Amino acid sequence: MEALKSQFPAANFSLLAVVLLLPLLGAFVNGIFGKRLGKQGVRLMALSAIGGSFLASLLTFLMLPRGEAAEEGGHLAWNAWHWFTITGKMQQAIPIDVSFAIDGLNATMMLVVTGVGFLIHLYSSEYMWKDEGYHRFFAYLNLFCFSMLVLIMADNLALLFVGWEGVGMCSYLLIGFWFGETKNASAGRKAFIVNRIGDFGLLVAMSMLVYYLGTLRFSSIDLAATNLSVPVKIWPIGNLSADTLPSFVAAVILPKEPVMVYASTLVGLALFLGCAGKSAQLPLYIWLPDAMAGPTPVSALIHAATMVTAGVYLVARMGAVFILSPAAMATVAVVGAATALFAASIGLFQHDLKKVLAYSTVSQLGFMFIGVGMGAFASGFFHVFTHAFFKACLFLGAGSVIHAMHVRIHDTDKSQDMRNMGGLRKYLPITHATFLISCLSIAGVPPLAGFWSKDEILWKAFSNEIAAPRTVNGLVPWAWPTWLGVAIYWVGIVAATMTAFYMFRAYFLTFHGDFKGWTIVRGWTDPHAGHGHDDHHDAPHDDVKGDGPEPHESPLAMTIPLMVLAAFALLAGFLNAELIHVAPLGHLLEGVFKADEVAVHERAAAHGKEMMMLVPGILAFVAGIGAAAYVYLQNKGAQETAFAKSFPRLYKLIYDKWRIDELYEATVIGMVDALADIFQMADTWIVDGILAKLSAAIVGAAGTVLRAFQTGKVQAYSASMVIGLAGVGWFLVRPHAVTSIDDTKLKQTGEVVVSAAPGFGYSYNWAGPGLAPTSDFSATREITIPLQPGDKKDVVLQVKNAFNGVDTQTITVARPGKKAAAPTPGANPMDDLAPGGKVVIPGDKIPDLLRGLHQ
Amino acid sequence: MKTGLYLSISPLLVVALGGALLMLAEAFSHHREEHESRSAGPSSELALGTAITLFTGAIFAAAVWFVGPEKLDGSQDLAPWLIIDRFTLFFAFTICVGGGLASLLAGGYLPEHRIDRGEFYPLLTFSSVGAIILAAAGDVLTLFLGLEIMSLGVYALTGFRRGSARSTEASMKYFLLGSFAAALLLYGAALIYGATGHTDLAGIRAALVAGNLNYGLVLIAVTLMIVGLAFKISAVPFHMWTPDAYEGAPTPATSFMAVVVKSAAFATMLRVLLVAFGQPELSSWGAGWPPIIATLAVLTMTVANLIAGRQESVKRMLAYSSIAHAGYILVGVTTTMRLHEDGQASVMFYLLAYTVSTIGAFGALILCGSRGAEAVSYEDLSGLGKRHPAVALVFSLFLLSLAGVPPTAGFFGKLYIVKGAIGAGLYPLSVILLLNSVLGAYYYLRVLVFMYMREPAPGAPFARPMKSGYVTSALVLAAVAVVALGLFPTTSLEVAVRAALAP
Repeated sequence: MEALKSQFPAANFSLLAVVLLLPLLGAFVNGIFGKRLGKQGVRLMALSAIGGSFLASLLTFLMLPRGEAAEEGGHLAWNAWHWFTITGKMQQAIPIDVSFAIDGLNATMMLVVTGVGFLIHLYSSEYMWKDEGYHRFFAYLNLFCFSMLVLIMADNLALLFVGWEGVGMCSYLLIGFWFGETKNASAGRKAFIVNRIGDFGLLVAMSMLVYYLGTLRFSSIDLAATNLSVPVKIWPIGNLSADTLPSFVAAVILPKEPVMVYASTLVGLALFLGCAGKSAQLPLYIWLPDAMAGPTPVSALIHAATMVTAGVYLVARMGAVFILSPAAMATVAVVGAATALFAASIGLFQHDLKKVLAYSTVSQLGFMFIGVGMGAFASGFFHVFTHAFFKACLFLGAGSVIHAMHVRIHDTDKSQDMRNMGGLRKYLPITHATFLISCLSIAGVPPLAGFWSKDEILWKAFSNEIAAPRTVNGLVPWAWPTWLGVAIYWVGIVAATMTAFYMFRAYFLTFHGDFKGWTIVRGWTDPHAGHGHDDHHDAPHDDVKGDGPEPHESPLAMTIPLMVLAAFALLAGFLNAELIHVAPLGHLLEGVFKADEVAVHERAAAHGKEMMMLVPGILAFVAGIGAAAYVYLQNKGAQETAFAKSFPRLYKLIYDKWRIDELYEATVIGMVDALADIFQMADTWIVDGILAKLSAAIVGAAGTVLRAFQTGKVQAYSASMVIGLAGVGWFLVRPHAVTSIDDTKLKQTGEVVVSAAPGFGYSYNWAGPGLAPTSDFSATREITIPLQPGDKKDVVLQVKNAFNGVDTQTITVARPGKKAAAPTPGANPMDDLAPGGKVVIPGDKIPDLLRGLHQ
Repeated sequence: MKTGLYLSISPLLVVALGGALLMLAEAFSHHREEHESRSAGPSSELALGTAITLFTGAIFAAAVWFVGPEKLDGSQDLAPWLIIDRFTLFFAFTICVGGGLASLLAGGYLPEHRIDRGEFYPLLTFSSVGAIILAAAGDVLTLFLGLEIMSLGVYALTGFRRGSARSTEASMKYFLLGSFAAALLLYGAALIYGATGHTDLAGIRAALVAGNLNYGLVLIAVTLMIVGLAFKISAVPFHMWTPDAYEGAPTPATSFMAVVVKSAAFATMLRVLLVAFGQPELSSWGAGWPPIIATLAVLTMTVANLIAGRQESVKRMLAYSSIAHAGYILVGVTTTMRLHEDGQASVMFYLLAYTVSTIGAFGALILCGSRGAEAVSYEDLSGLGKRHPAVALVFSLFLLSLAGVPPTAGFFGKLYIVKGAIGAGLYPLSVILLLNSVLGAYYYLRVLVFMYMREPAPGAPFARPMKSGYVTSALVLAAVAVVALGLFPTTSLEVAVRAALAP
């Protein structure tokens, strides 16, 4: 260890390169040479890449500074290279580096990403075995791990954004992995578009941070964050002043006063928009359930364990900013609570096993946001940690079930429909056991992992309050109402009850009762053998009620990850069991969040109620599991059918996910479509029709006419030359009286200089007021004309050239202002310049003259 | 015996001696006659020899440029007949590069189209010698000499396809009108000599500045000389010969005319206008040559672009396009009246960018077609992007450069000219130039549309690319230059600024 420490000093911890580059290498090799490597080779490459990365992450974790050093914010840093420099508000150079910093928070994340990642790679190596795109799948999966590691290891927002987009890209690629089916491709597209909205928020936040703090490094942001406590004026509809709009319109729509908010609130909300997009919170959650169109291990890794928690990670990472704004914190917590409840309610009646898990993920992410929003960053993050295990286990378990269903049902939707399952406990003992453990864990049964993390969050929601920051420039910060935490607590309890109910509904429907997929006939063989998994189309023999073989347990490569994850789902809670004061993870994170949690206090009223507030939590899972057992174990779902009969509309509404997709379809998408239609019409009729066609026609006609002169006759050609020669000659032989006016001295001396353009062999004659009349032509090219304010003089120029031709031009020079009765000597000629006085001088010098006068 | 003198005119000497050697080689070669096998005709050895000669000339020009002609003792000994300054060397470089690339194109084209006769190469080389003399000429007599050496070779090259009536007709027209223009130029020179008593440009200027001469005579002389030069750069309305000559000539000769002849003509135009007629009265925006040049620029750009859009033959379209580019360059020439160095630099940079882009475009057109399946009309190019992606890609690159799409050489050429026009206060000119670029983009992109978005109609003939190492290497060189000038434009612009004529 000492040798390692001297090899990799904390300030230049290049071991991180190994963590990062192994998955990248895996992605590269599998992506380029995957086809030639063969499936075994791809499997070996992918597994060793992610496995090696896990070992390096473990070493990194072990080498983290401990004890006091950690409390002081000690961390491992590695600056790979200087990326680019931007210029800040004060013209200072802001370096943006490709550099990484590891503390307790992201070291734990690294272990989750690479550890759970390894297990899921192992699982997929079996699950995807029959797929055509085996190498492509692992290239994407490795690339995803690389991007996710960049995201969590980055020490600045710019680099984090690179990882953020990278995981997004891998996610879209993997959602649409079976892009042959429209549904999958459009799910990928949906994820892409919704995430763009979130990315916009993140970009806005980044620009504001650069503007206000002049840095994107997390450590510097932490130090300088208080500079964000400045009020910002916001005019809701731009900065239109009243005179650009009709007054009666302005009176209605323009606010008299700008809205004043703290910059920290704006940054916090913009950041949270990004987080809500990536972590599927209201109202941007809609992409995640559809994202389950991807292969099941992808759902487990990306859409449950790692990527979707990036938003929670980012809020925790930017805690120093959020804590400055109770309003932003409250938004995070309220959106989290609303999402937890809302998604849980949708999960109640879904028939698709993966859909249930998807909505459960959205709901659990809501819990995490409750945690970070209530200032309990460590608790929120702890739920990220435990959720990674039990939700990955549940998804992989679902994959194992689907794998079993696939011996007979190849249609994706039917093989995931719980109405076709039942009684699988007998056939899939390992899957059953691990699934049950994870269900208990997510339902919050003590002492499983989910209990510790969820109840910790609920307790913190009940007890925490965020102290208002000091008032700056008279803008009173939004105060945190005391009832808010209590309300969120109770919403959380209801959501937790629902969670217990729908998870056990899924469990009972899948593993208990009678098998409903097909009639099991021993020794049955599939006449259409050789299919892959989720990817298959309605084969004609998918008549669900036919004969089929016994569903069988998955092979070891799939069950080992299940068992490992279940073990963690069982035990990981003790890493942060605050209630019984066993909290190694909490201690590790203390140094990270110490500074952020200064503004978080325990409400006095909540003091000492820790054990009491545990009771509703315990009642929640008892009630949820009990109800599920009563309805689905004892009565085979009779009550659900009865409910569906007596409230058909409500049941359908919930089953249709509250028709939020349809709502978006009708409002936002409808509006965009309408706008697009209008633009398309304008494009077809005005731009294409009138502008383009008309101008093209004119150009074309001109070309045709001109082309007609190209007769091919050399006489015509020389005639054209003669015309050209005559034109040039005519110009040179004729005199040209062209003048320019120099008014730069008008302000000082009240004089303008008029000069004639020089010409070869020219002589000039000037006439005008104040000039001696003469008929002689001389070489005088310039004359100076004095002007009083309000004066206007006509000057006549005659030019005679070598051929005795004469050209005449009249120039009028004028000076604005009132005519002074008697000009006072020495007075500034500008004094009596009338406001708005206009200067009338022909020729091309008007702009300059005006400029000269206004200087 | 001054080595400095020989060193300073070494680009000229290299090319002239090389041309003589090539002629000898051609005379005693075993491969005198056209041959069935493409590798056994005269082109097989002469094309490479010519290219080496001309590229060596370019290298010598660059070398003397870097040493600095003012440091070479005796470099001014030939003044005012031949003036060896950085301006001359820049143009000598451009001319040699253009000529070398054109000879490489000929190496592929002539055998493919069965007109493989050796005299093409000495003609091309001696024509380049004339072009260099023209660029260096500081006296109207050497100017005329250079012009004729250059032109005579080009007349012969135009009519090189002896069997083709079209080629012969083109050559004849070019010769007749060219003689007409040369006569005007010579007449102008004679009048100038009559008025000032000088044939050297610096002396003419001194006499004009001193005044007290027959002004009318000088103005007529200026008219005649401007028209003579405008013919060589094919400015509208002295352009009529260009489409016919460009279309009738074998394509390598066309590309040679389009770049080398034009570069040399612009060099001498700049020298005559700025040195001989550079004093304030003649270069005044009110009554001097700038308004004439500006009018020619507007006419040239607009007329050429309008007609180019109506062409069905790609080669003829490229001919009109080269006229349009002359119009853009004339805008640059106009700006020299107020921005002396920067205006010239924009012209020189543009010519360099235009040289490589145009040679590339003509070369790509050559490569697109083989004997019997030539690329003539747009339709012939249909679907080329699918059938031969590499050929279509380089063709697109050169066309985009001609259209002025960043980050190619052509973009920066236009950018510097527009920048100059704005800097010189010629806002209407810059607007007209930009509008014309839009017109230009239409017909350049039309080629791309046919290559990438159309399929040949069933049964319709389509172009089959030829195979030739010469053409390919020329295209690679030109493509590298187009991209390099587009990525590092400032270096060559600085070179051009340093090469500008002193005021």
